[in-house]
Amino acid sequence: MNTPASPHQAAAHGDHGPPFSVGTLAVLWVAFWLLMVSVSMQDALRNPLTRWWEPVLWEGSSALVATVWMLLAVRIRGRYMPYLDRPLRWFGSYLRWLPLVIGTWIAAVYPMRAAVYAAVGRTYEHSPWSYVVVYESFKLVIFTGLWLGILFGIDSYGQWQLQRQRLLRTQKALAESQLAQLQGQLRPHFLFNALNTVSALMHTDVARADRLVATLGDLLRISLRSGENEMTTLAEELRTLELYADIMSERFRDRVTLGWQIDPALQGVPVPALLLQPLLENVFKHGVERTVARIRIQISTRRDGDSLEIVVSNSGSQLEREHRDGMGLRNCRERLNIIYGEAASLQVSNVMGGVAARIVLPLAEGAP
Amino acid sequence: MIRALIADDEAPAREKLAHWLAEQPGLSVVGSVEDGLSAAQCIEELRPDVVFLDIQMPTLSGLQVAAQLEPSNAPLIVFVTAYDEHAVKAFELNAVDYLLKPYDRERLAQTVQRVRGRLVSHETGAAAVAMGRARAPSCERLLVPDRERLQLIDAASIEWLEADDNYVHVHAGGRDYLLRRTLQDLLSQLGEQRFVRIHRSTAVNLACIASLAPLFKGDYDIQLHNGRVLRLSRRYREALFARMGR
Repeated sequence: MNTPASPHQAAAHGDHGPPFSVGTLAVLWVAFWLLMVSVSMQDALRNPLTRWWEPVLWEGSSALVATVWMLLAVRIRGRYMPYLDRPLRWFGSYLRWLPLVIGTWIAAVYPMRAAVYAAVGRTYEHSPWSYVVVYESFKLVIFTGLWLGILFGIDSYGQWQLQRQRLLRTQKALAESQLAQLQGQLRPHFLFNALNTVSALMHTDVARADRLVATLGDLLRISLRSGENEMTTLAEELRTLELYADIMSERFRDRVTLGWQIDPALQGVPVPALLLQPLLENVFKHGVERTVARIRIQISTRRDGDSLEIVVSNSGSQLEREHRDGMGLRNCRERLNIIYGEAASLQVSNVMGGVAARIVLPLAEGAP
Repeated sequence: MIRALIADDEAPAREKLAHWLAEQPGLSVVGSVEDGLSAAQCIEELRPDVVFLDIQMPTLSGLQVAAQLEPSNAPLIVFVTAYDEHAVKAFELNAVDYLLKPYDRERLAQTVQRVRGRLVSHETGAAAVAMGRARAPSCERLLVPDRERLQLIDAASIEWLEADDNYVHVHAGGRDYLLRRTLQDLLSQLGEQRFVRIHRSTAVNLACIASLAPLFKGDYDIQLHNGRVLRLSRRYREALFARMGR
């Protein structure tokens, strides 16, 4: 599954809001038939030979059969919804049933009328069958066209709303993760400890202190950069990770070692911006800061078939038995779900002597 | 000579503190450790006059270390922290000395000045201990000496406590740990929930009581699940019965 999620699939995995308002359609439908009946009755009132119930029977029988067809059309609308952006295909999909509609229409409506007339001891008189077929076909083409147009309008509107909602959610999730990232960087423990490290290095190694200040500046700049861009390249994302790792390894010197296994061929792959840092933050928070043992952190990217796999793992700690996602992980998951749907995943699990967070993304472009 | 101990899990932070404390006349750094348990161990062994205690550390937090000390002979404690809203509020209330990272040389000099003043007036770190106990979940685990090392045991595993002059025997899991603390102080640390006094010099874990047998004059014998029999003095009888729901 590495094709971009189609709008319909997106609707299937938990978007909010009805894509199609059956209520609106039902109201229009009833109003339409009431209008038809009343027009027909107006007509009949001026004709002394026609009884009041006859127009009701004519239009009522038509409405009954048309409603059956309409219900069927509404029922299968989900199947045709992906074609909404190709109107010819959409209309074609429905219209190919038209001959059947005409056939069943005549076969159902005329005997119905004939039966009622017979019941009151009269005969239902109508034009010759050849004329009936032509006349009804003509009428049905017009009405079907009209109602398909309405259905198309309602469905398209629903689809448009759905996409707008989806876009808003994507933007909201990005803004949230930017905020979370920023809060992480400006989190007093991180910032003040980093500053204290700078203050310590100034007395022993000025060049290193200088470098640390520059690194801290770069990292803050990335977080503060107003993000119109939901996506960035993997190279950029790893660079952010490196800046964060540099600061943390300066603070916890002697206690952490970092290993990078990066596939250079994948560096240009688009990934959601600011996705990875929460994973590394967790390694420090739950791994490094909890023990005096040396911790080894491994960051790797590789291609696995049509997927990109990013793993951030560490030695020396284990997940608590009833561990629950913190805000960082929750945020990651939500964004992956919005952008890639079921095609992406994030798993955090115990591995041999440590913990690994594994993100799998489809390599084909995910965002529509 | 003021003897100082440094406890911080970040090497640059330790170095910075050591560097600046070395400039202070009449003060020497006797140790520098990187986690809470080692800090407690060094306080026990080195008996420093003042401890510069980071709050966020592996094994035991700075507050937990403070909570395990006996107020009357605790060293002066200077908490050092990057930021902890609640801790800072508590510092201000208790007027315990604290340093907020990053601090400069002048701020540290002030702190050392304050420490000197308190040592002259023979103050202890009681306020810091009280703060640690109020802020850290100190009643769940107890730090006990085990041969040359300190070890954390669960408060729930302690069966009974027995005072012996200025020491307390902590009986837990068939072992007997000797702690240089008063029974009163230890009970205040472990909290009222679990332990109840049954004699001037003994307290018992309520969950370990198996049965009671009356003796004369209102005394009772208390049998523990491990078979041990302790004497309940009538002075503490009502309090125990009330706690046991009788």
